[in-house]
Amino acid sequence: MKNKWEESLAALSVGQQFAYKVKDDARKDKIRRYAPLILLVIMTMIGAVSQKDFFTWGNVVNIMYQMSIPLVISVGLTYVLLLGSIDLSIEGVMGFAGSFVAFLVVNNSNSNDFGILGILFVILISTFIGAITGIIHVKARIATFIVTYAVGSIMTGVAVLVYQGTPIQVKDELFVVLSQGKFIGIPYITIIAFAIFIIGALILNYTAFGRAVYAIGDNETAAASTGINIGLTKIKVFALCGCTAGMAGILQCIRLKLGQSSIGLNQMFPVVTAIVIGGGSLAGGKGGALSAFVGVLIYTELANWLTLMGVDPYVKKVIQGVIIIVAVTLTINRNRKTISK
Amino acid sequence: MANKKKSFSISDYSKYMCLISIVLVFGIFSIVIPNFIGAYSLQNMMIEAAPLLLMAGGLSFVIYTGGIDLGAGPMVSCTCVLTGIYVARFGNVIIPIMLVVGLAMGLLNGLLVTKLKLPSFIVTLCTTNFWSYIALTLCPNGSEIIPMDKRFMVKWATQKVAGIPVVFIIALLGILLLFIFQQYTVYGKSIYAVGANVSAARLAGVDTDKAQISAFVMSGACSALAGAFYAYKLKSAVPTVGDALTLTAIASVALGGTSMAGGRGSVLRTLIGVVTITGVTSGLNMMGVDPLWKNIVIGIILIAAVCLNSDTKGRDLIIK
Amino acid sequence: MGDLLFEAKGVGKTYGANTVLRDIDMQVYSGEVIGLIGENGAGKSTLMKLISGVEKPSMGEMFRMGKPYSASSILDANHQGIGMVFQEQSLVGNLTIAQNIYLGREKGYSKCGFVNWNKMNQDAKKALGRIDMDLDPSRKVRDIDFAARQMVEIAKVLDVVTEAANGHAIILLDEPTTVLSDEEIKKLFVQVRNMKEQGNAVIFISHRLDEVLEITDRIYVFKDGEETAVMPTKGADVNLLYEKMVGRTTTGEFYVEHKQTVQTDEVILEVNDLSLFGAFNHVSFELKKGEVLGFCGVEGSGKEDICAVLVGDAAPTAGTIKVKGRECTFPNPCAARKKGILSVPKERRDEGMIGLLSIEDNIIVSHMDELSSHSFLSAKKMHQVAENWVKKAGVKCFSIAERINQLSGGNAQKVIFARALESGCEILILNHPTRGVDVGSKEEIYDLVRDMTAEGHSIILLGDTLDECIGLSSRIIVLRDGLIRGSFECPVGNKPLQLDIVQQMM
Repeated sequence: MKNKWEESLAALSVGQQFAYKVKDDARKDKIRRYAPLILLVIMTMIGAVSQKDFFTWGNVVNIMYQMSIPLVISVGLTYVLLLGSIDLSIEGVMGFAGSFVAFLVVNNSNSNDFGILGILFVILISTFIGAITGIIHVKARIATFIVTYAVGSIMTGVAVLVYQGTPIQVKDELFVVLSQGKFIGIPYITIIAFAIFIIGALILNYTAFGRAVYAIGDNETAAASTGINIGLTKIKVFALCGCTAGMAGILQCIRLKLGQSSIGLNQMFPVVTAIVIGGGSLAGGKGGALSAFVGVLIYTELANWLTLMGVDPYVKKVIQGVIIIVAVTLTINRNRKTISK
Repeated sequence: MANKKKSFSISDYSKYMCLISIVLVFGIFSIVIPNFIGAYSLQNMMIEAAPLLLMAGGLSFVIYTGGIDLGAGPMVSCTCVLTGIYVARFGNVIIPIMLVVGLAMGLLNGLLVTKLKLPSFIVTLCTTNFWSYIALTLCPNGSEIIPMDKRFMVKWATQKVAGIPVVFIIALLGILLLFIFQQYTVYGKSIYAVGANVSAARLAGVDTDKAQISAFVMSGACSALAGAFYAYKLKSAVPTVGDALTLTAIASVALGGTSMAGGRGSVLRTLIGVVTITGVTSGLNMMGVDPLWKNIVIGIILIAAVCLNSDTKGRDLIIK
Repeated sequence: MGDLLFEAKGVGKTYGANTVLRDIDMQVYSGEVIGLIGENGAGKSTLMKLISGVEKPSMGEMFRMGKPYSASSILDANHQGIGMVFQEQSLVGNLTIAQNIYLGREKGYSKCGFVNWNKMNQDAKKALGRIDMDLDPSRKVRDIDFAARQMVEIAKVLDVVTEAANGHAIILLDEPTTVLSDEEIKKLFVQVRNMKEQGNAVIFISHRLDEVLEITDRIYVFKDGEETAVMPTKGADVNLLYEKMVGRTTTGEFYVEHKQTVQTDEVILEVNDLSLFGAFNHVSFELKKGEVLGFCGVEGSGKEDICAVLVGDAAPTAGTIKVKGRECTFPNPCAARKKGILSVPKERRDEGMIGLLSIEDNIIVSHMDELSSHSFLSAKKMHQVAENWVKKAGVKCFSIAERINQLSGGNAQKVIFARALESGCEILILNHPTRGVDVGSKEEIYDLVRDMTAEGHSIILLGDTLDECIGLSSRIIVLRDGLIRGSFECPVGNKPLQLDIVQQMM
């Protein structure tokens, strides 16, 4: 049954076989990395064929708008996933940020009017909370899924406390303008979101910090031996994730003009799915800004189709779960020794 | 191994932490609240704690393996709804049926984790959507109460025998069974081995797949039973009952001194953790504290407990 | 000879009760290549760890350019002009070559936090040019082949140390040629000579004597943690080198040879044309009941991979395994155990003992199915079994409920031996069974090995030292570069010479 190729491989010396294997793995890895792009192209082609107005400016802007908030979340999550960690607190921090900013600006339940200062303050606090999460993870050596789960639950609770059970409606001028205004046809929210994404991508690709994140995710011991401060980098990553979660929460509040703890609900999971579809890995070291963008785009289109097909929102969540299981299964590096817990 | 200095570290303290916590909690609250340890209050706490006891007990096994079951709460909601709706038709046989349903739910989780080699937090988060779907589609309009004429079927659960509610006795029996499972079965030992050092357990020939699957099955079965008992307790099908329960269950396990990294712990510790947390929540309730604080308090307890229990002795493990 | 770049005086290293290195005196001069040879476990890697900053010496002193030297980390050593190219690649795959070379040193290229990759790429090209490598520095490391990665690592270390100590750097190469083709080895040697000419010094560790003889100026020979010889390479006698590497230091009594059993004729394990792509090829052998079959080979020879396949930890790419005449495949170690194969792993802490569990649990863990009825374990039976073994193996502990990670290395190893014996597996693979074990416990473990064969177990042994392998085994198979090169009978009283075996190994 052995063909000529296999026979010639078997005839190589062990050292040469090893070198060949390394090359082969690299090649397969490359193919895997282009898969999301190919998927995107296929999906776009299907979209173009099935929807008449697919390539109109209006539709493009619509997709960009739907991508906005997931894109902001994906900035922080990309960094976290590159480390091989997870941040389950994003929904809580978003809910808190949205509620607290609603509380601070002109609204229907109190006489605060902090405007821009309020927004900046909330971003600062969200960053701070992210930093605390990072510090607990690094100093107490606790797995991120537990720390972030706990912090997320606490922040959801704090959010509800802020508005005392009755969601706050925002009346602030700035929020109304941002929520409904457009610039050359693109909603402000979308512009802000894309700007945040671009900044995040620049930091990831053009700073030593960004490179350190990649290094730690790929080979933490090698990274440590070059003098990179692993603990500090991790803390910065979680601070950044908290920051973007806060910004996402504020954007959501702007969009809905409402402050309540559930504005973060179901926001993190789709983005994790998106990042994995785009080529990221839960084990860390793989992916990046481009993968995240492609992933979010693919995911948004998919979500669009599901809504167009009139799928029940609960069923949509189940499908989401299936998609991420499939996506992670396909991208996991499998050998018989790995046992995940 | 030559440097076995008996220096007192925080993780040694964790052995006694759970006992100290329970004494502190009940001590402080009984001073602040009159009749905190009174019969009526205790009975309420027991009814409150019973389903949580089962849930956290089963969840402990998943934590022993080093994993997590983030879907425990939604599983509870799911079976609560199923029980609430169908108990009228099937009577008490619904309880063993729910047990089987729970076994199946856990089996699904276990298979996904072991055969597809996926991390447990992702798997259990995904299957959550499935259980919530069932709960919310069967019960789309909030809770549905069990019709009055059928109430007699579920009354026995909240009756008291020698002052102790039946549900609580069943929960204690459950913990006893879980204890036996943990200490005296092959599955139990394998679960601890996998949590303590999965590579060594594997090379020693332990069936690691079987161990992980059985942990998830246990968790599923116990959560399912807990859901059934919630339906009995609340006398209705409540699709949102499990929402905050996952957090409380995990916090109970952590408070008992079980390590989140796996490999050590005991359901008896979880028992103490559950009682302590129930004490805290009941106490806060009785003090008139805004129920909105509950999640925050439990979240903080979880973080504090995990920090105190963590293995900061600088093992070379890379933690992600 | 140029300046004295580095000197070690009386350097040694102790891990707990084990002294793995003692009385090392070494001088490293500018412009020379030093070869370091010796068996596995002779202490070469340990010395490198001490010089490169991974560990600190327990005794003796080190000097750099005449001044006292100590390095608290790899980075610290780098800053003092000493760098090591490790065997396990220390490059980050998802970054580019340039980013890898300058990882941790981006400050020189960044303005307000943002890095100028172009400038870094230019400098990277220069760094690569220093070793005649013409690679595009903006390519990701995961996309280049193994030999190129090795060269990038060398370029990186070179860049870091010359930045710190131009012309006076010391570069340590640990088995750099294992995965290189002949062409690539030639290129590597050209670079080593270049480094020499620039005034730096290179320490070259290899088990390939021919390479050492080709490239080095002086050779240090290590054996059993001591320096047994140092000589100029020119005119060095190969046989003399072999002799200095080996030589019986212990008597047959140490290995309890009087208890060595003669194997029966029953073939209990038959391996035919077994291959694992990239690790070993066409391995065939038989294991007879009661035999101790020793595998000798340097690192990378494939002996560890063969054991991994036998125990179910890796899937072979060709060939068959027959246990007691029946062909088997092992999808995991559990399946192998059920067919009767179990291993005592090499890494005791990570793969051998289940640290958080008790001694009792560690002993019964491989035999739970048989110790239970309907999945229920009897506490009494478990206690009895554990107590028996603890007594028999001579484990020093307070009680069997004690956690195994509280025991000393030797005692913990005895517990794992007890586990293997209790498991009921007829074929036991002992992977470096006395690694990190004190001398007293070693003897007791050898005694246990004899008991094992007397009771009918068959053993495949990966010995810690060649000496141990010869002493314990009834037969030895020598591996080199993934192929079986020879076999030796080892009956009591007529054991083969270490010299003969070493020649096959290298």
